[in-house]
Amino acid sequence: MKRLSFYFCMVLLMVLFVVPQLLEAARVGETAPDFVALGSDGKTYRLADLKGKFVVLEWHNQGCPYTRKHYEGGNMQGLQKEWTGRGVAWFTVISSAPGTQGYVTASEENAYLGRMHAVPTAVLLDPSGQLGHVYNAKTTPHMFIINPQGALIYDGAIDNRPTSDVSDINGATNYVSLALEQAMSGKPVATAATRPYGCSVKYAN
Amino acid sequence: MPANSLAKQNLGTHFAFPRGSVAASPGVRIHDMGTGLKKRTTTTRIRHFVGPIFQLGILLFSCTLLLASAVAIPHGTAELLTERTSIQPGHHFYIGLNFRLEPGWHIYWINPGDAGESPRVTWQLPAGVHAGTIEWPMPKRLPAFTLMDFGYEDQVLLLVPMKASPKLDAGSSLSLSAGIKLAVCRDVCVTGRAQASLSLPVRKETPPPDEAASGLFRAARRALPQPMPPSWKFKVVSRKDSFQLAGSVGHSVQQAFFFPLLANQIENAAPQTLRPVKSGFELTLKKSDQFLKPIDRLQGALLLGEKAYSLNIPVH
Repeated sequence: MKRLSFYFCMVLLMVLFVVPQLLEAARVGETAPDFVALGSDGKTYRLADLKGKFVVLEWHNQGCPYTRKHYEGGNMQGLQKEWTGRGVAWFTVISSAPGTQGYVTASEENAYLGRMHAVPTAVLLDPSGQLGHVYNAKTTPHMFIINPQGALIYDGAIDNRPTSDVSDINGATNYVSLALEQAMSGKPVATAATRPYGCSVKYAN
Repeated sequence: MPANSLAKQNLGTHFAFPRGSVAASPGVRIHDMGTGLKKRTTTTRIRHFVGPIFQLGILLFSCTLLLASAVAIPHGTAELLTERTSIQPGHHFYIGLNFRLEPGWHIYWINPGDAGESPRVTWQLPAGVHAGTIEWPMPKRLPAFTLMDFGYEDQVLLLVPMKASPKLDAGSSLSLSAGIKLAVCRDVCVTGRAQASLSLPVRKETPPPDEAASGLFRAARRALPQPMPPSWKFKVVSRKDSFQLAGSVGHSVQQAFFFPLLANQIENAAPQTLRPVKSGFELTLKKSDQFLKPIDRLQGALLLGEKAYSLNIPVH
């Protein structure tokens, strides 16, 4: 009996941990992988609970010059305000491992949100990098959009100017806004995948 | 980014050092010692006399720094080097952008890979001199966590072909200046900008090589991907999740790695599976997750053993 429950546990562990790892990373046009993650507000967020809404995932590292480009000029906060105002669930995701650039505790992150006047729906803390690996998040920022049916409809850069200059924001084509506008008006997303730009996500080695 | 603000930024670093030395110089120390009103008047007189001399000194010192042209970038220096000691009207010549980096830091190739940013150069050139596009020596693979970047550590010389108009005046001196924006990264990235300049005389005669820099130019040229020998045959086939690159090069290949020129072609960090065959190799390249539209051509640099070759072939 003991032996049987051991095997049962092993199979369960395999299903829980190994199988998701074997699955292909998130791909545009396919169902976005489900996730459960803890927010800096202490709440738990699950993608499956957000069916019916557009969901934006924004990979973040407050020390990265490319992230700072979009926060110091207020660009990201403006996008968060606009799109959450239009019913989008906007999640800032932090996959920096402890000891690496951008790693923050929940209270540090909440203080940062206040200081920067950032208004995402929530900040998901992913110090293990699990969520980052499932989505194959490469850079900060790296943006993903999931439609109300749960399909990934955008994967890539925030805009078409891969620099750290704040002055490059004005006049750039914002791929996230463009994709959301198109999807919300029932059109296909014209630019659904681009090369994300920025600092590497600081995963645990 | 206008050119003059780049120059301002750069001049800021030039002036920083001479100003520091003025603060520690005897002339100012006299001023510091002054306590009474009378003494202060004396020091003011001395300062009136000494001030212009120091200012002139600062100016001269700055000028020599501008000619020397090595400027600070985050965790390193950038410098314009010339392959030959003068410019010949009507001829091509090469300028090199030489980067030196502190141990552990890197800058990026034309395709930086998964993260980072290639250096960008904006030239300020006199009339009659035109810059071509940068020729990039082969980068190193720079794995970062689960990602793969392509770039340079320690030192790299990026080659820039230049063209001189036949109308240039022999006997004149020309100033070439490059505004550089770049990201310098280790585990973290620091972005920066610099302005590097170089003055070169225009002479009628064939210019001799610049001995100090010729070694760096030779090394950079050796590290450029070479054209394929005409007898070599390549073919690339698009599969569901991969590209199959097959090469016939006349001998069995035991080591190969493909550096993509463009983003969104292959998954940079995915292992590239090599299968040596009798007269060449087959290499499996995993398609990028961001790969949506079929591509017409596979472009990049192919490293076979120690040698690198340019690859640009149609995809079947």
